[in-house]
Amino acid sequence: MNDNTSKVRNIGISAHIDSGKTTLTERILFYTKRIHAIHDVKGKDGIGATMDSMELEKERGITIASAATFCEWLDHEINIIDTPGHVDFTIEVERSLRVLDGAVLVLCSVGGVQSQSITVDQQMKRYKVPCLAFINKCDRSGANPDRVIKQLKEKLGHNAVSLQLPIGLEADFKGVIDLLSMRAVYFDGKNGEIIRTEDIPDNLKDEAARKREELIDTASMFSDELTEAILEEKKISESLIIEALRNGALSRKITPVLLGSAYKNKGVQPLLDAVTRLLPCPSDIENEALDMDNEETPVILTADHGQPLVALAFKLEEGQYGQLTYIRVYQGTLAKGDTIINVRTGRKVKVGRVVRMHANQMEEIESIPGGYIGALFGIDCASGDTFVSPGISYTMTSMYVPKPVISLAIAPKDSKSETNISKALNRFTKEDPTFKTYVSEETGDTIISGMGELHLEVYIERMRREYNADVSAGKPKVAYRETITRKAEFNYTHKKQTGGAGQYGRIAGYMEPAEDDFIFDNQVRGGSIPTQYISACEKGFRNCLAKGPKMEFPVTGVKIVINDGASHAVDSSEMAFQAAARGAFLEGYPKAKPTIHEPIMKVVVETPTEFQGSVMGSLNQRRGIIFGTQDEGPICVIEAQIPLAEMFGYSTVLRSLTQGKAQFTMEFATYKQIPQSVAEELEKKIAEDKKSLQKR
Amino acid sequence: MFEKGLILNHPLGRLIENESGEEIMPQGGFGAILARAGVGKTAILIQIAIHSLLCDNNVLHISLNDPVKKVGLWYKEVYRNIAFQHSITDQDLVFDSILPHRFIMTFEVEGFSVPKLEERLTDLMEQNIFRPHMILIDGLPFDESQKASLSDLKFFAKKHSLKIWFTVRIHRDEIPVTDVIPSLFDDVEDLFETAILIQPEGKEIYLKVLKGGKTDSGMTRLSLDPTTMLINQNGWIKSA
Repeated sequence: MNDNTSKVRNIGISAHIDSGKTTLTERILFYTKRIHAIHDVKGKDGIGATMDSMELEKERGITIASAATFCEWLDHEINIIDTPGHVDFTIEVERSLRVLDGAVLVLCSVGGVQSQSITVDQQMKRYKVPCLAFINKCDRSGANPDRVIKQLKEKLGHNAVSLQLPIGLEADFKGVIDLLSMRAVYFDGKNGEIIRTEDIPDNLKDEAARKREELIDTASMFSDELTEAILEEKKISESLIIEALRNGALSRKITPVLLGSAYKNKGVQPLLDAVTRLLPCPSDIENEALDMDNEETPVILTADHGQPLVALAFKLEEGQYGQLTYIRVYQGTLAKGDTIINVRTGRKVKVGRVVRMHANQMEEIESIPGGYIGALFGIDCASGDTFVSPGISYTMTSMYVPKPVISLAIAPKDSKSETNISKALNRFTKEDPTFKTYVSEETGDTIISGMGELHLEVYIERMRREYNADVSAGKPKVAYRETITRKAEFNYTHKKQTGGAGQYGRIAGYMEPAEDDFIFDNQVRGGSIPTQYISACEKGFRNCLAKGPKMEFPVTGVKIVINDGASHAVDSSEMAFQAAARGAFLEGYPKAKPTIHEPIMKVVVETPTEFQGSVMGSLNQRRGIIFGTQDEGPICVIEAQIPLAEMFGYSTVLRSLTQGKAQFTMEFATYKQIPQSVAEELEKKIAEDKKSLQKR
Repeated sequence: MFEKGLILNHPLGRLIENESGEEIMPQGGFGAILARAGVGKTAILIQIAIHSLLCDNNVLHISLNDPVKKVGLWYKEVYRNIAFQHSITDQDLVFDSILPHRFIMTFEVEGFSVPKLEERLTDLMEQNIFRPHMILIDGLPFDESQKASLSDLKFFAKKHSLKIWFTVRIHRDEIPVTDVIPSLFDDVEDLFETAILIQPEGKEIYLKVLKGGKTDSGMTRLSLDPTTMLINQNGWIKSA
């Protein structure tokens, strides 16, 4: 590996689904001689693109897990993370952006700025990732790069500036005019590998001159030297423009735009040139860690190889040789045989095999220097763990992990699948922090939750394919609660003194609403209930909470105060007082006006403004309260509180309402009483469910 | 509701209402809260909003400075102080009851325009999501260029029978020594039925009615608690 990080680029390729990222990556690997043949994404030749390594990806023609790979171009080492384009896999995109120094935003010249481009752009903004835009598919019917550049400016607010001009479009797309060198560039040979430069065709000369003026004008904002050269009417060199563009791109104030058609092997090599010339190297980016020994004070990391190691595990994959951990080294060097510490667990780990990944193939290396991305074998860790040299305790700023928005109950179809499901869930939750699983205490179902219906569907499918586990998925049940709304007294005697050992216990007191889930207050004086039975009383009341008398939902927010009672010298026992407590609870509960509460979710929808009205309508129909709307230029953010029960299937509704251009997040906000009409409906449904269970 | 009654008894009511409890500002009327930066315009605006919300009016709060979350926190904070001032026991219940009557919209200053507001409001009203009685606009810059858009807004307010309150930031040098409308506000003053100035004097802060407000006989100023920016319960004092 090259020790000079100024010639290293860690880049991601992000875009909307079907914009052609995987095809683009495939061509990059071909031109950089990492692969020697080109395969299509949808794999008519049965091989599939190199970056789509999972069976499912090849079949559906989508990228699910981002595969990391590297290549070399013009003396530069480029580490590439190919990221999924579908909105349901955003954690993959987020993870990539967290460890990357720059990105290429791929846009379709027909589709333009689509919903996922907006999401990805927001993520890039969050992690301050400088980017280039590549307008792909210029050979397609309806291709209009000018419109896409306009959308980049208007929809995403980028200061987009084109570095090229297309020579022909759609079926006539022949090549590009490089506005820096003012030469026409054509891509010859079977796979476009031979680059031929010529004079600009006469019919495009004027337009090229005008566009170059625009380019220089925009770039001059980022270089005094360039401004001076313009004012003094000196000859403007290519390097001067590049320097200005790089300054602008690194500060995210300019987005250089390139054009091409990866599928037709046009425009990929100039994009690689731009990556090396305009995107940052690791030392251009300031990375911060938190010092755990010093109240999490931020520490600036340097890519200096002599410094103690700080590295982040950003992706895990279970391969045939065990767990593969993708890692980015921010400081120091990670070498084979080193002992490193997992900051989260405090455990020492000995580094075994160190590899450099190339999609699903790998190359053994000795070490990963600071600024590089590589992978380790045989390290037990979770995604997002930080590894350091002994002696320091730094942690990388925690990754932003979006909260799961949808859950499903799953069940194995046979006993063999049961074991395999748990293996699969164990692996998936380790790999993907947005995928969660738990067993519902109330229903006993295994619940999986994630970022969208497709996200969960893919995992269910993966369980079947990779773990041979057949799973049936159902609708999850909302976790309703029961609570009381007023004070009610009880005075109950449990008496069973006919034949055999007798049972006797009397408990008196009251119940009232409380802030906490359950409060037990013993105010019995004078030993009317002997001290040894008080805990049995509490246990008796506590046991009643699991299934409320009203609709069998868990009871919360109850304070029980006992202040009197009676016992029998022979017949009283712990069991008798537990039974008395149960009786007292059942006596007092109906008088305390019990109600049903439901979980209310805070829902935030981000939508292009043109869909604001229909999105608000859809939220309003779901018994929601819309708190407000936030206009952020082309995007509008709507905040609302909506009962969870009304949110199932919302991702599909939102997608169809907004042509897939909106997205939403949902998190638990509070429990609130359900309206009477809904309670009645619920009561009916529960009664029906019970009936059908009894019939079985 | 008992608690609501307590809050409605607040002196602020007497500032914007007549003796029979009706709001002085007519439908389609404009009101302004004037102060220099950082004196507490938003706090007063939110007190007006909460007062109106407790009267079961729908209030649309438009902020050109803060995100929805921050505006929501403002309401919580101001309400909490009011509830504390009136020793209200069931604070959350009352607050929860007013929330469905409030809608917050935030815009970037340069992105705000009357046609855009009208478009957004039509979306809300046509789908029966929200129909405001009062609009509060916080953070609109006041200069000569705003005259036309304020005239449009006046037309809009009359058309929809709305009352609109604005915060108006005045320059430190513009603070009137007498009860005179600051010159910055001169150009658009004719559009406004009510104007109230927040005036700090040493450690004290007062609300002074510059135009249109109804005050108790001879009393033209209300004193504010500088820590909470709430109007003091017996806050009327004679004009300085």
